[in-house]
Amino acid sequence: MAKIARRGLGRLSLAAGAAAALGGTPARAQAPTTLKVIWMGWPDNQVNPLMEWFEKRNPSIKLAVEKIPFNQIFQTIEVRLQARNADPDIFICDSPLTASYGARGHLMDLTPHLDASRFAKSALAAATHEGKIASAPFGSSMQVMFYNKAMFREAGVAPPPADVAQRWTWEKTLEAARKLTDAAKGQWGYAFEQSERPYQLLPLGQSLGGVALSQDGFKASGFIDGPAFVEAYTWMQRLYTDWKVSPQGQFDPNIPVEMFGNGKVAMLVAGTFSVATLQQRFPSLDFGIAPMPYFEKGKPVTPTGAWHFAINPRTRNQSQTLTFLRDFMTEELHSLWFKLRPYPPVLKSIWDAEKATFDTDMWRIVRHELDNTAQPRPATPGFREYEDLVRVALRDIQTGADVKAALSGAAQRIDREMQKYR
Amino acid sequence: MAPFRVPPWIPALFLAPALAGLLVFRLGPILIALVGGFTGSTLRGETVFVGMRNYADLAADPSFWSSVRVTLLFNLIINPFQICCAMGLALLVLRPTRGVALFRAAYLLPMTVSIALTSVIWTILLEPSVGPVNGMLKALGLQPQPFFRSEGQSLVTLILVCTWKGAGYWMIFLLAGLLAIPRELHEAAAIDGAGAWQRFLRVTLPLMRRPLAFVLVADTAINFLLFAPAYIITHGGPAGSTALLMFEAYQAAFALLNHGRSLAISTVILVIIGVIAVLELRLFRAAHERTG
Repeated sequence: MAKIARRGLGRLSLAAGAAAALGGTPARAQAPTTLKVIWMGWPDNQVNPLMEWFEKRNPSIKLAVEKIPFNQIFQTIEVRLQARNADPDIFICDSPLTASYGARGHLMDLTPHLDASRFAKSALAAATHEGKIASAPFGSSMQVMFYNKAMFREAGVAPPPADVAQRWTWEKTLEAARKLTDAAKGQWGYAFEQSERPYQLLPLGQSLGGVALSQDGFKASGFIDGPAFVEAYTWMQRLYTDWKVSPQGQFDPNIPVEMFGNGKVAMLVAGTFSVATLQQRFPSLDFGIAPMPYFEKGKPVTPTGAWHFAINPRTRNQSQTLTFLRDFMTEELHSLWFKLRPYPPVLKSIWDAEKATFDTDMWRIVRHELDNTAQPRPATPGFREYEDLVRVALRDIQTGADVKAALSGAAQRIDREMQKYR
Repeated sequence: MAPFRVPPWIPALFLAPALAGLLVFRLGPILIALVGGFTGSTLRGETVFVGMRNYADLAADPSFWSSVRVTLLFNLIINPFQICCAMGLALLVLRPTRGVALFRAAYLLPMTVSIALTSVIWTILLEPSVGPVNGMLKALGLQPQPFFRSEGQSLVTLILVCTWKGAGYWMIFLLAGLLAIPRELHEAAAIDGAGAWQRFLRVTLPLMRRPLAFVLVADTAINFLLFAPAYIITHGGPAGSTALLMFEAYQAAFALLNHGRSLAISTVILVIIGVIAVLELRLFRAAHERTG
């Protein structure tokens, strides 16, 4: 696989040049087509095998994969798409951004090329824009609570049960977190994996009955700054500022996972995909899994939606991109992907084929949540703006800003930006 | 012998690459920003003329005014502070003593680190929970500090980090100016009974006006255009306390997908820099004329 680098491309052209110079077959006739792909860049060993699998299967297609870190990926894609040229051919797409990219003409219509009946209903809904399949579902997501068994034993605290019927409340989670926090040892009771992201934090307000955005998708004032979100985020802020049970300012999602793996955090609400990272990076870590908590006076709500990929309608390599689409939608590839990075599968057949795999606490929880508590992020063509502005507010709230003022400020700016979509 | 005449196209030829660069990389983008401030784009990317709407929207937006305040405050502090630090460093390494080259290099070294890398390094060093600086503070029995995570400390911390990187660079220009001052002037002043402080005020400073004017204007322009630390370290926060105008321009274009707004903000920055640079140059010229 030709990685992002010019070096890789350089080697390719050198090799081609050398072959031509040595009197081999004309390079032009056999030159493979290179597809430019922007993909998630974390971690390499969970991404490279997919691309290698594809290249092995399609020797006439090379993939120049730009693997971008999570914190930069949306901005990078945005910069490239706004140039409105043929680069990239294919790009990874967070499922709620389908409407945003679709409204701006950045997505090829995939309806004729995909069999809709193969996908889970929620994944298909997230992939659909104006009645057409605009992004290819590649994974769903679900959050669970990981806990460190040894730390619980040491603190004499009973761990949270895996049974969704006995799901912990946030209040109970806090009570345990206070017992598990030991400032002298640099040990924290609790952490969110994505502590600034609406993806993980909208469910807090939704658990208290909050609605994150108006039904038509264009108004945030009165929604994201409503009483439920103010109450939920005030509670969240106190985790950092008053009770001091969570490490403040750890906005890179890898860091809380590392801290959990190193025994510095006792409870971590994180995606199922982090299981693979924890097992690989910390093979001796003894951890358990419980459902994501909810507020005592509210209801359980969990986030969902995850990575799709999309084809640039301006690509000059349409047939090769469709080959990519075809191969990346095979059960074989999805199965490999699931093993590398366990997102809840979007192909219904994987759930049926891997029955034994899903017979664990975590997957039982996930199946329950997907059927009962999962709420996708707001459906709006302005999700890119919404996500960024709410994210800034959540960062500020975590570091002590006035909750109502931060949310109202974000809501007003979102309303202003949404006007272009009306 | 007939005098050698340079055909008029020769100088034009030699100047052409530089002029082309100036046109393409400087004047072109400025023109695009000036015109683009009056445009918007449709969802499908077509550009449409919107008159003064982008500027009217900015004028009515409290977050824009907050960003203007932050940018002006940042510049009001950092420019004199950086120049004082640069001047101090230049004076420290002025005398040709043993090992002075080492110190000159050490002060200049941060300049060789890119601003993006500087941001990453200081993000790690000043990380409040697990960063080494707070680790040292704790080891010394001092209270750990929130640095970039505090509304009250973030701008000051940003100024210190940028000064760490910038002061050594400006030191080089000031050092060149100091070295150009004839020693005889200092010796004459010393014979007349002037002390070190008086010599600095009456001899060094008046003769440093030209290098200082250059450094002040260039430093101001660079600091008004500062973007990377706000993007990499603070994301404009907490609570907008480091939301510099350049960061706002970036956000408008690539997070809020609003190019017209972004270009309007860029134009506002250009105007502010232009006005301040003219004022600074006038200040120095007036002072220069006064002293004859």
